Amino acid sequence: MTRIRLGRWLVVIPMALLALATIYPLLFTANVAMKTRRDYILDRFSLTDALRWENIGTAWSSVGMGRYFVNSLLVVTSSVVLLLLFGSMAGFALSRLRFRGSRALFLGCLAGLFVPFQVIMVPLARIMADNGLIDTYPGLILVYVAQFLPFTVFLMTSYYRAIPTEIIDAARIDGNSVYGVYRRIMLPLGSPALLSVGILDALFCWNDVLMSLVMMPSADHRTLMVGVTSLRGQYSDDIPTFASGVLIAALPVLVVYLFLQRQIADGVAAGSTKG
Amino acid sequence: MPIGDVQPSVRPARAGRTDGAAGSAIRRPSARSRRTGVRAERFAPYVLVAPAVLIIVLLRLYPLLLGVNFSFTGDGERNGVAVGLDNYLELFRDPLFRTALGNVGLLVLLLPVAVAIPGLLATFIYLRVPGHRLYRGVYFFPAVLSPVIVGAIFNLLLAFDGPLNAVLGSVGVGPVDWLGDPDVAMFVVVGVHVWATFGMALVVFLAGFATLDAALLDAARVDGASLPQVIWHVIVPALSRTIQFVFVTTMIGMLTSMFGLLYVMTNGGPEGSTYLPEYYIWIQQGQLSRPALASAASTVLFVIMLVVGLLQITLLRRAGREDR
Repeated sequence: MTRIRLGRWLVVIPMALLALATIYPLLFTANVAMKTRRDYILDRFSLTDALRWENIGTAWSSVGMGRYFVNSLLVVTSSVVLLLLFGSMAGFALSRLRFRGSRALFLGCLAGLFVPFQVIMVPLARIMADNGLIDTYPGLILVYVAQFLPFTVFLMTSYYRAIPTEIIDAARIDGNSVYGVYRRIMLPLGSPALLSVGILDALFCWNDVLMSLVMMPSADHRTLMVGVTSLRGQYSDDIPTFASGVLIAALPVLVVYLFLQRQIADGVAAGSTKG
Repeated sequence: MPIGDVQPSVRPARAGRTDGAAGSAIRRPSARSRRTGVRAERFAPYVLVAPAVLIIVLLRLYPLLLGVNFSFTGDGERNGVAVGLDNYLELFRDPLFRTALGNVGLLVLLLPVAVAIPGLLATFIYLRVPGHRLYRGVYFFPAVLSPVIVGAIFNLLLAFDGPLNAVLGSVGVGPVDWLGDPDVAMFVVVGVHVWATFGMALVVFLAGFATLDAALLDAARVDGASLPQVIWHVIVPALSRTIQFVFVTTMIGMLTSMFGLLYVMTNGGPEGSTYLPEYYIWIQQGQLSRPALASAASTVLFVIMLVVGLLQITLLRRAGREDR
């Protein structure tokens, strides 16, 4: 559309300003993280005179962000592995195998999409406590898996529907069991979808605060996002360290985004168009 | 390859594998193992769906029933005693919960804005505004940040002695207590939420645009339609399904993913003005030890969600009919 002349600047300028407004808060935070406390109090906006990494170091070690980071990494990777495994298994069976009750089971999985954590927070916390899973890594991992499994199953099912049954039949004729087909055909063929869903699931788990707040009460089990919330009270007078802690929490997401932006967008788009 | 040597059109699975593990699994099953094999094969689909179904049923659907059941029992001394609708009566008498519901109403009123912004931006990006690729990448980024991080960043920016007030002060506008004024705080939090999440809706809109027939736009342009006319008469009808979907998901997002922002930015304050049902549930359960009351609030939230969810199912159904 090259014909939009008249209104072009009316569009371009607001869009550029909005882009700036989207990026500036993060740049501001990164800049503050590099400053000394004195610099920040004197002038909030001036560009930092040096790249000071010591604030980041302080946040990492003495604030405990490093410990929280490792907790998050452990919980998120375990959750994503389980989500992809269970999600692709169920997705394969529900999309490509004929068996009694498959439709009902699919709808049952889908029903999970409409049950947000807030609605089952109280009974779920009780179930976890009754089974000794409160404040344990497996407990939180299980909660994450349960939270994002409906979405994962849904996406894997719709992806596998596009795979021709002839491939599966051929593999069966070659003597593969159903499990063999899953392992040798469906898993490799599903890798684009697994990547997209896996990144989205990882982001969801990494960014969560409510579930880990409810399930992980003790301080040394804290995940990174809960760690960020506890920064505020401790470092209200040391803004550069506070900003460093925020930056530590944002950096992994930024890196993932820079490299895998297309896959993330594909996952979101697939979730919206494959109704 | 000699002619006449009949090659199977499908290579044995083993041929493509170099690791020994796969090779041993392919064999001609003997008659006996084939018989047990058939039985195992019949159960295979159930084995494959079992983990997912079990987890979803035990940790999603069963707790839902448990929670609804729980909302009709008492707290504290009356733990486990059936109390009928007492919790619900108390809930609707509680000014904090009423504020929370009022804020849900406010979210519904602001919903068109939260949908229109990404819709318009997606339109311009689709029409290849100069730099459209950059814009897409930049706008989408906040959507992948945790609400906690977004909230913490805006705590810095919006502090009473923070940069935003410093800028306003330099142009002669007095400092605004963004997060401390009960009349302002909720709008600020919703604004930040929209800022942080419109990128998601933008990507959904762009996925919708990918299915749009470009010939329609060409035809409209040949007929001399202006841009507003094109948007209103061509794009909106063509993307009606996407627009409805974004409406529903944005609403669900506002109801279930603002906890992080509220927790970090306002803690429900000032004067309880930024309560939403999800925050109320968390406070009652975790801080005030009123699990049954929290369950009642959960049930109310679920009813609100259910209305939205059923709407979504009917939309998807209708859309499915349009496709095929």
